[in-house]
Amino acid sequence: MRRVSLSVLGGVVGILFFLPLLWVVTNSLRPGSETFAHLNPLSWSTFFELRPTLRNYSALLSSEIGRATLNSILVSVATVAIGLAVCASAAFGLSAFQFRGRGLVFGVVVLSFLVPFDAIAIPLSTMFRDWHLTNTFTGLVLPGIGNGMAIFLLRQFFLGIPTELVEAGRLDGLNWFGVFRWIYLPLSKPALIGAGLMLFLFQWQSYVWPLLIGTDAKHILGPVALSNLQGQNFADYGLVFAGAVVLTVIPLVVIAGFQRYFVQSVSSSGLK
Amino acid sequence: MSSRQERKGRQGLIALAFLAPALLCLAVLRIVPAISAVVESFYSESLLRGGRVFAGLSNYGDLLASKDFRQSVGVTLLFTVLVNPIQVVVSFLLAVLFTQKAAGSRLWRTLVILPIATPPAVSAVIWSVIYRPDGLANGVLDRLGISAQPFLTSPSQVLPSLIVLLSWIGVGYWMLFLIAGIQEVPEEVREAALLDGAGAWRRMISVTLPLVRRPLAFVLVADTVSNLLVFAPVQILTKGGPNGNSNLLMYDVYNRAYALGDIHVAQAEVVILVALTLAIVAGQFRLLRGDQ
Repeated sequence: MRRVSLSVLGGVVGILFFLPLLWVVTNSLRPGSETFAHLNPLSWSTFFELRPTLRNYSALLSSEIGRATLNSILVSVATVAIGLAVCASAAFGLSAFQFRGRGLVFGVVVLSFLVPFDAIAIPLSTMFRDWHLTNTFTGLVLPGIGNGMAIFLLRQFFLGIPTELVEAGRLDGLNWFGVFRWIYLPLSKPALIGAGLMLFLFQWQSYVWPLLIGTDAKHILGPVALSNLQGQNFADYGLVFAGAVVLTVIPLVVIAGFQRYFVQSVSSSGLK
Repeated sequence: MSSRQERKGRQGLIALAFLAPALLCLAVLRIVPAISAVVESFYSESLLRGGRVFAGLSNYGDLLASKDFRQSVGVTLLFTVLVNPIQVVVSFLLAVLFTQKAAGSRLWRTLVILPIATPPAVSAVIWSVIYRPDGLANGVLDRLGISAQPFLTSPSQVLPSLIVLLSWIGVGYWMLFLIAGIQEVPEEVREAALLDGAGAWRRMISVTLPLVRRPLAFVLVADTVSNLLVFAPVQILTKGGPNGNSNLLMYDVYNRAYALGDIHVAQAEVVILVALTLAIVAGQFRLLRGDQ
C-alpha cells in the first residue's frame, strides 16, 4: 500500500515536470497558428497531436535558428576538442611531476573556478572588444577551453595512475609527451569523457557570453537566436518550439549516450 | 645543489610546458578580467579630456545613490532568501522520494531530470509562452477553476513566477547530487533505524538528513551562487519589470553596461555582485559549520 502511494506520488511529480516539455514537443508538430487553440478549455488535445506535421522542422532548416544551431554545434565541438587537449595536458603537468610551486599552480586552478564566469563576462567582453574578437568563432570558443573544474577532475583521475607504469614507459624510451599520449590518455577514457561532457554543456548552455560577443547572423548561437525570434511581435511559435526541441534534444542525446560518465562527473565534481 | 634538487628543477620546466596553455587561458580569461573589473571600477570616462581618469570611489558612490541600484539589491536579496531554501528542500524531498523502492521510480526520476538538458535561455523562451495571458499556465488554472493570473506583469507574482521556472530548470540537477549522497548511506544504517521502529518521517529527519550533510551543504552553496547569477530568464521574460520588481543584480549590471553605456559603474557593480556572492557563501559555510 505504501509502495503504491509512493509510486503514485512519484508519477504525479514526474508528469508535472514533463508537461511543459510535452507541450513544447506537441506544438512543434502543429502549425504555429494553432499554438493557443487547444488551451481553453484544456483537454487531451492540448498535449497530443493526432495529425502531426514536420513542417516546422523543415522551415527550421532555412531559418536563422537552423544556422544558429549549426554554429552552436561547431562552437561546442571545437571547445570540447581544444579544451580537452588543454585541460588534460595541464592535469598531466600537475599530477606526473614533482616541482616547486605545484601547490601554487593548483591554487590558481581552484581559484579560477571559484570566480563565476558569468560575473566576469562583462569585463571580459570589453577586453575582447579591444582585441577585435567580437563576432568571431575564436571569441566564442576561447572562454570555454580553460576550464578549471575539468582540470581538477582530470587531475584527480591522473593521480591514481601508478608511477611504475610511467617508469616502465620512460625506460622503454618514451619522452614525457609519449608518456602523456600513450600511457595517461588511453587509461583515462572515463575521466576524459566526463570532462568533455562538462566542457560541452558549459558551451551549449551558455547565453550571457554569446549574447555579448556573437550577435551578427554568421556567429549567432542557438539560444540567442531563439530568444531573438521570441522577442518579435509576430513570432511563429511553431518554429520557436521546433527550435527549442532541437536545442534540447542534442544535449539530451549526448547526455544519454554518456549517461554513466555524466552522473560520475556530476557527483565527483561536487562531492569529492 | 644536489642532484635531486636539479631533477626537481628540470621536472618543473617540463611540467610548465604542459601547464602553459591552460595557465595562460585561466589567467587571461578568468583572473585578468576579475582584476580588471576591480581596477576599472576606480576609473571613469572623462568627457573633457577624453580617455579615463582616476575617480576613486565615486562610481561606488553613484551606485549607492541610485534608487534603481538599491532596489535591485533588495530584489536580489529577497529572491535569494526565497529561491534557495525552496529549491534545496524540494530537491531533498524528491531525492528521498525517488530513492524509495516503488514502481516506476526510475522513469519518474528521469522525467524530473529531463529539463536540465534544456539550455536555461531556451527554458526561459518556453516559459515566456507558458506565462502568456492566453498560455498554458492560465489554461491549467482555468481547468482548476482559478481565474487567470497576470504572472509576469504583476509586481507581486513576478518573482514567484521566476522561481517556478528556475526550479523547473534546476531541481533535477541538484536532486542528482542528493540521490548520489543518499545512495552512499549504508543499507545497515537504514535497516537499524527500521528495526528501532523509526517511522518514515523520523528516518528521513534523523538518519538520512544528517548523513547527506556534505552533499546538502554543497548543493546549498552551489545553488546560491547560480541563483545570484540568474540572467537569461530576466532578460528574456521581464526585462527587470514590472517597475524593477524582477531587476536582479546580474541583469542590472548588463543593463547598466549596454543599455546605459555606463561601463565603469557597471564594473563597480560587478565587484559588488562578486563580493555579495562571496559574503553569502562564506556566511553559509559558517552556519553549516556552526551546528556541527
